[in-house]
Amino acid sequence: MKISIWLGGAITAVSIALSGLAAHAQKAGGTLVMLVQPEPPSLASYISTSGPIGLVAPKIYDGLLDYDKDLKGIPSLAESWEVSDDGKTVTFNLRQGVKWHDGEPFTSADVQFTVMEVLRKVHPRGPNSFKEVTSIDTPDDHTAVFNLANPAPYMMRSLGAYESPMVPKHLLDGQDVKSASLANNPVGTGPFKFVEWKKGQFIRLDKNEEYWKEGLPYLDRIVGRFIPDASTRAAAMENGEVHYGAYGAIPNVDVVRLRELDSIGVTTDGYAMINPVSLIEFNTTEPPFDKPEIRQAISMAIDRQFLIDNIWFGYGNPATSALSSSYAATGLYAPGMPNYPANADIEAAVKILDDAGIAPDADGVRAKAVLDLIPYGEDWRRAGEYMKQALGDIGIELELRYEDVPTWLKRVYADYDFRMNVNYFYQLPDPVLGVHRHYGTDQIRQGTHFVNSSRYSNPKLDQLLADGAREANAETRSAMYKEIQEILANDLPVVNLFEMKFLTVYNSKLKGHDLSGFGAYGSFDQVWFDD
Amino acid sequence: MRDFWKLYRRNRSAVGGLVILSLVILMAATAHLIFPEDPFRLAGKSMQPPGEGGFLLGSDSLGRDVAAGIAHGAKTSLFIGLLATIVAVGFGTVMGGLAGYYGGRIDNLLMRTTEMFQTIPSFVFAILLVAIMKPSIESIVIAIAVVSWPAVARLVRGEFLSLKNREFVQACHTVGMGDAQIMLREILPNCLSPIIVIGSLMVATAILIESGLAFLGLGDPNIMSWGFQIGAGRTLLRSAWWVCTFPGIAILITVLAINLVGEGLNDALNPRLRERQ
Repeated sequence: MKISIWLGGAITAVSIALSGLAAHAQKAGGTLVMLVQPEPPSLASYISTSGPIGLVAPKIYDGLLDYDKDLKGIPSLAESWEVSDDGKTVTFNLRQGVKWHDGEPFTSADVQFTVMEVLRKVHPRGPNSFKEVTSIDTPDDHTAVFNLANPAPYMMRSLGAYESPMVPKHLLDGQDVKSASLANNPVGTGPFKFVEWKKGQFIRLDKNEEYWKEGLPYLDRIVGRFIPDASTRAAAMENGEVHYGAYGAIPNVDVVRLRELDSIGVTTDGYAMINPVSLIEFNTTEPPFDKPEIRQAISMAIDRQFLIDNIWFGYGNPATSALSSSYAATGLYAPGMPNYPANADIEAAVKILDDAGIAPDADGVRAKAVLDLIPYGEDWRRAGEYMKQALGDIGIELELRYEDVPTWLKRVYADYDFRMNVNYFYQLPDPVLGVHRHYGTDQIRQGTHFVNSSRYSNPKLDQLLADGAREANAETRSAMYKEIQEILANDLPVVNLFEMKFLTVYNSKLKGHDLSGFGAYGSFDQVWFDD
Repeated sequence: MRDFWKLYRRNRSAVGGLVILSLVILMAATAHLIFPEDPFRLAGKSMQPPGEGGFLLGSDSLGRDVAAGIAHGAKTSLFIGLLATIVAVGFGTVMGGLAGYYGGRIDNLLMRTTEMFQTIPSFVFAILLVAIMKPSIESIVIAIAVVSWPAVARLVRGEFLSLKNREFVQACHTVGMGDAQIMLREILPNCLSPIIVIGSLMVATAILIESGLAFLGLGDPNIMSWGFQIGAGRTLLRSAWWVCTFPGIAILITVLAINLVGEGLNDALNPRLRERQ
């Protein structure tokens, strides 16, 4: 069944001068078929940060800001904004004449409702991003004033359509936000309107003719297809049936083959906002991983480069600290941390264990544990098999366990019934948003996914994290984060493995998909087809 | 016994099957001698073609020896195949025997139960069971036994039904033998040959189900098996064909050999077929 055909012949050139983007001869029209993998549970990006939702929802919803490739804030629903000198008042001047897809006007009341009633209450990361917001004033329909308890520079990095979508108050007010029907029939202000969702097959979005950016979007339609089998996805990309696949929709092994074709392009751009890092979470409250030495030895014994080269086909960088090296630009990343070798150092690992008195028994076994693995595909299984061997060499005997996603999430984040868990986290554009949740005592939130499941608690670190979040002076802030990273490199409640590089595979006729810092989680308003 | 061998020997392909099966058993028995290391061990460079880097049949994406995996996988396949078959045949024989011998309401109850099991496609049912119980060698054996026993039960029931009205069984009743004694000592030995035949074929099916489960990632992650090797090597088919081809051949040959042996047993044990050739 062919759901969609690229309407190459039907493309009509439009005068781009209108839109003020006259540099290239972008062409309007066409249907983009993108892979959405797996099928999303809903389209409620204001409730869940689940990956596939992020692929679709930001095309429908706008954020207050957008971000360019350097993650610099650029106007979106907010035309301009001012931060007061003490950092405690942020004023957003909203764009006039913006309409929801159902025709209602977008106003400051929507902003107030979205942040205070939706994001702060039901969004997984919202309570953190908007922690300091005490109230939002709406002096008129086009001004929203955020009143903060403390300065929150990181908040300005989480106002994009993916992280903080603006949702219509008139469709949610007075309802239970978590069960409102908006989740499956999204109504936004974005460049594309939700039209249809055929379960198990596709989601269809059509061009929003009344979009507030004049002349945009270029595309007539976006179809998000669900193809469960990885090799079928690769074949569909190869024969041009689909044009775009991100977040590993095309497995690395097929990318290595497809990237040789002229009709296919591959990029690792578009993930700066996400900043994914693979890691091991330890249960630090129970033996055997309650001793920091054994966690240090594990960090020394794992060959990070081997994982990258042999399982992820070279796409990735060895982790060198609790913070990803992509924070180097913000001055927060500190290089040269101990216990983070790129290649395994078995001798050093054994020495750490011996010195700590973790001695082997008659069979050479120092500790036994079950290793849980993130059930997101074959690569993670290979990684588990590798770790079982590598850690077996230093006398840590592992048994591997794979479960389905809900069971695994419950085990690790609700029941704490695990010892050692391989996972990956998004570190996001600021450590307050993406890193603090691993380590803070206040982030031991039983039942909430992807927070401090290690139950690591260190008052000194808590204080540094709290100070780091508020510190406005860049130099003082980086000194604080250096200390944080030193503490974490020694205590290692979480051992980072490698900075992941997701791949986006696209048809080379597709242009303009790489303009946003969000990549696949972007709005796609400037995506177009060249013939 | 010598008569049996004479009858079995007449089927040439059955003898061939037996030879191959013996070799597979030998390979499984000596796996830990030929390849003393853990088959999951990263033995050298990854993705080496057969014959290179010291790998007879090449290495996989992590540098594990494919040949070692096949040898150790033989142990897993045969073990699971035999154990699951013993459980299924044992349980199926008891159920079928009781149903056939007593008839009436017991028969009705037991046969409706087997029908319930038979309406669900067996492989899908096995996947479901393993997924619920979480993949381990025990859960795989249980799952295979659960989907396999109804066929045995129906066969045994049929045999019991036809035998229980024979004169020699009637005679037992008249001399006052108990039900259990009649079933175990008189009827069961007389229907042993079809049970052996169906059992031998069931080993082959069990190996296939186990490989299928492992291929889908529902195998025991801590035990090497052929299905696991194929599942793990499937994505590499275009760049490293040997990773899943050799385990595939191993499954093919073993299942074929067991089927040939089963066929031979059938020929040798079935009195009606004895004079066929």
